[in-house]
Amino acid sequence: MKTLTVKVSRFDPERDEKPRFETYTVEVNEGARVLNVLHAIHDEEDPTLAYRYCCASGQCGSCAVRVNGVPVLACMEEARDGMTIEPLNLPVQRDLVVDISPLITSLHPLEPGEECRMPPAETVNALKPLRSCIECLACVSVCPAVEVAKFAGPTAMRQEMRLALDPRDMRDRTTQAVEEGLFTCTSCQACWKACPKEIEIPGKAIEKLRALAHKKGFSLPRHLEVAKMIEKTGRSVSRTEPTFFERIEADVFEPYCEAKATVGFFIGCMYSHRLPQTALDAVEVLRRNGIRVVIPREQVCCGSPLIRTGQLGLLEMLQRRNIEAFATRGIGTVVTMCAGCGATLKKDYPSTPFVVKDINELLDEYGIEAPERLPMVATYHDPCHLLRGQGVSEEPRRLLSKVVRLVEMPAVCCGSGGGVKSGFPDEANALGEKRRKEIEKTGAELVITSCPFCEFHIREHTDLPVKHVVSLLLEGYREKDRKRNETCPSA
Amino acid sequence: MRSSDQVECHVLVIGSGGAGIRAAIEASQYGKTVLVSKTLVGKGGCTTMAEGGYNAVLNQEDSCEVHYEDTMRGGAFLNDPRLVEILVKEAPDRMADLVRWGAVFDVTGSCEVAQRPFGGQRFPRTCYAGDRTGHEMMMTLKERLASTAVERLEEISVISLLSQGNSVCGALGLDRDGEMNVIAADSVVLATGGGTRIYDISTNSSSGTGDGYALGYRAGAELIDMEQIQFHPTGAVFPYDARGRLVTEAVRGEGGVLRNTAGERFMSRYDPERMELSTRDVVSRAIANEILAGRGTENGGVYLDVTHLPASQIESRLPVMLEQFLKFGVDIRKEPMEVAPTAHHIMGGIRIDPTCQTSLPGLFACGEVAGGVHGANRLGGNALADTQVFGKRAGESAGKAKERKIVIDEAQISLQQDRLDQYLNGEVNPAHVSGTLRTAMWEGAGIFRTGEALTRTLEVIRHLAGLRLHAASHRNLLECCTVDNMLTTASLVVRSAMIRRESRGAHVRKDIVQDWEPKNSPFGHTYLSIHRDGIEQSGGK
Ligand SMILES: Cc1cc2nc3c(=O)[nH]c(=O)nc-3n(C[C@H](O)[C@H](O)[C@H](O)COP(=O)(O)OP(=O)(O)OC[C@H]3O[C@@H](n4cnc5c(N)ncnc54)[C@H](O)[C@@H]3O)c2cc1C
Ligand code: SF4
Ligand code: SF4
Repeated sequence: MKTLTVKVSRFDPERDEKPRFETYTVEVNEGARVLNVLHAIHDEEDPTLAYRYCCASGQCGSCAVRVNGVPVLACMEEARDGMTIEPLNLPVQRDLVVDISPLITSLHPLEPGEECRMPPAETVNALKPLRSCIECLACVSVCPAVEVAKFAGPTAMRQEMRLALDPRDMRDRTTQAVEEGLFTCTSCQACWKACPKEIEIPGKAIEKLRALAHKKGFSLPRHLEVAKMIEKTGRSVSRTEPTFFERIEADVFEPYCEAKATVGFFIGCMYSHRLPQTALDAVEVLRRNGIRVVIPREQVCCGSPLIRTGQLGLLEMLQRRNIEAFATRGIGTVVTMCAGCGATLKKDYPSTPFVVKDINELLDEYGIEAPERLPMVATYHDPCHLLRGQGVSEEPRRLLSKVVRLVEMPAVCCGSGGGVKSGFPDEANALGEKRRKEIEKTGAELVITSCPFCEFHIREHTDLPVKHVVSLLLEGYREKDRKRNETCPSA
Repeated sequence: MRSSDQVECHVLVIGSGGAGIRAAIEASQYGKTVLVSKTLVGKGGCTTMAEGGYNAVLNQEDSCEVHYEDTMRGGAFLNDPRLVEILVKEAPDRMADLVRWGAVFDVTGSCEVAQRPFGGQRFPRTCYAGDRTGHEMMMTLKERLASTAVERLEEISVISLLSQGNSVCGALGLDRDGEMNVIAADSVVLATGGGTRIYDISTNSSSGTGDGYALGYRAGAELIDMEQIQFHPTGAVFPYDARGRLVTEAVRGEGGVLRNTAGERFMSRYDPERMELSTRDVVSRAIANEILAGRGTENGGVYLDVTHLPASQIESRLPVMLEQFLKFGVDIRKEPMEVAPTAHHIMGGIRIDPTCQTSLPGLFACGEVAGGVHGANRLGGNALADTQVFGKRAGESAGKAKERKIVIDEAQISLQQDRLDQYLNGEVNPAHVSGTLRTAMWEGAGIFRTGEALTRTLEVIRHLAGLRLHAASHRNLLECCTVDNMLTTASLVVRSAMIRRESRGAHVRKDIVQDWEPKNSPFGHTYLSIHRDGIEQSGGK
């Protein structure tokens, strides 16, 4: 037996205006799950504690709660001392019980025809992952789009895709999905990461439905324009100032000190055409830290804006051109500084003859020269495609903490992804404004991020400066140089 | 406390597992149907947890006759032959319903539903969806239900059946706030599932508390063979709180082997022909014996090993097992599982005829709460088929029942009201009572039984039943009702076990020497009701 002290959110609709926390200390067995802690509280401390559970083996989806802010199944998650247990972020009925029935019953059923045979094995294999949903609604509880847009939510999209794939279903699910807000998803990947069954809804349902919708002519005009632009120029955005490529003279940049490594640099459309200075900052930081940087000029858009919006026609061509650009130079490691490009190269390319690393990963791995500290407090906005898309979260924090003091805020989508900023500006703005509030709460003087879409979008929703991690590092180096020159002007 | 509105319907279905939803879908063709469920629809109960599969004769080389024989032999010939005939004959049709409604079962290269071998069967006839077969069925049934006009009353538990004269005419429900609901119906289908939560070590979900047996018994229905409790051979043993959690038979169906701590494949000593795929009663006793003989692990189990199978087979055919064990720190691709028997299924239950009619007019039963289909030992995969075959039959019979004028007898409601009021003034924590009951049942009415231990266990149950359960608030009233149901169900199990003075199937009386094989047993069903109890002589007909 062991003793655990936990905090549990309590809410009695008759008495409480809003939820309150109670602390309980209970005895549980070794290996106890969160559910066993709830049982112990209920059986020994306070029998009025309300929570749901049924199968206690991860199969019915009744017991999803948040532990330390993260959705989990109470029956599967190991209990830890000091944990905080809250209901999912859905309408709370009492204590840990949320109202999930309306959403579950609104999922569309299959409309059978006369066909009474199983589909072929490959269809079954495509269906199976979408079928393992236990309707716990953890995904819905973390989806930023459902909060601000007319969107039926991630598991509804999963269900529509499951129906669309099934030859036994007689309905047009693509049109239905579009009506339910298919294009309002920001591709933030939060649903998938929260799903206890690891159902990859954004990639396996939403993008697939968007591809079907594109074929049916449902693509948004702004998304079609982007595809046209890529077809014409190889880039997804227009140039507003001299591009990165127009501003560099060489294709290879030698490091300022002994070379530790050589990397290919994948720039991405935003950093090339809209924020070239940030990309130049990155080159500086890499050179200063002993990295030789090779920049093939033939590189084009990674294809992410097309994949996220279901326009797959040009994809193979883009992938081929990018792979060739680096492969022909014999490059073993390609570094990205745009979270979206990085996630796309890592996950959406069939296979690459090189390793792809985000610039935060690379710098953290090789270790960096210490920058000068700046007397500032910064908060860090996790780009969805870096945090959830690539699992990179500690690295940028370690880097930027060398320059400024970090104050955290919750990692939530800013609203710029998935084609939402162009397709549904109101939704993107609503999410941007939510970020504003979170940023204000931190009291930071500066917002650091690591994605051009986030950088661009958050700038519209905060009065604070918004910078990429590398630009901050460079500032630290400049300050260091300045101080050195002051003390030793001759050097 | 009673809410003023009363629901009226043609058919009331109690329970939203596989049997209940199937019954409701069927009944809705005949008139207004209400589905009341203790849990959110489809989330509670054991169907959604069922992993291994659904037995149906689909292959030319298989036959209903062989399925029938396997079932009877597996059930130690205690099964009601009429019900078994229906089961094997209609299981394929009900499977076809599920396929038409969109179920995603695994398939063969020629788009047929794939089948795997299961214990005690001479043909691989167990259809499956990986190791989440029951969940797949529930998803399909819920989708189908959504296409009907069935009205759902979720998270409302039935605490008593209502009767008019000698017939059942509705039920009293209790919602989460402790408010009573009155539901009047021309006919009632009981589909509340099983009850092995009365044991300390059990595979069942939170609703496996035997409510239906208790409700039926109190209303006057007759139950049969309640001593027949299936102990599934392979339940988890670690960590402590996960004890009893099912390790599906599909693990052995896919080729998993059992070993004791000496590394011996001990099934060769108990059933050299069928080995790990012998019937559950045999494998359970073998494991229990090995453990008793000191050849078990420190955690009190034996090894179940699939490490010789390709990792890809484990990943695609046993994903839930893989995930569950990984969560507890065991990678079954690389290390063996530790398992021991766990209380799994109640073969006995409310007596039904082929139309699912119980001994009480107006009351039908289907699924695990009904008895007779599985005799003294259920074959893996037959229960899921049972839910569909008899779910449909119950829904149809209830639907076809005549409409009638129902007058709710207020006296029955006040009786329940009084019972609830007593709980509010009670003094004993229901959680403690159920804990004591579970341990007593495991110790005194488990895999091996003696008259003496059963008598002792019944005394414990009677003592517990005499305590005054305490509800801390109106919202805790249901817990008291549930514990009361557990006590009633446990007493039915123990009383029947005392009545059956032979070893038969899952029921083993260590204190009785017998010289007959099950086939020639002089005994038939045990039966119990508030009016009578006893055991039928030979054949049970
Ligand atoms: C872990 C596990 C795995 C299994 N695997 C298999 C397998 O692979 N193959 C196989 O054939 N069989 C299997 N079985 C057995 C099989 O799943 C069950 O026998 C069968 O599903 C029972 O179905 P049911 O509809 O009768 O009841 P359940 O599915 O148990 O549903 C009972 C319903 O009744 C409701 N209920 C209970 N009490 C009340 C009340 N008082 N008021 C209102 N509602 C109430 C519950 O909420 C629930 O909705 C397994 C069982 C378990 C526990
Ligand atoms: S990817 Fe993000 S926005 Fe899209 S459905 Fe999932 S959680 Fe919602
Ligand atoms: S998709 Fe995953 S998170 Fe969402 S309801 Fe289903 S199981 Fe839960």
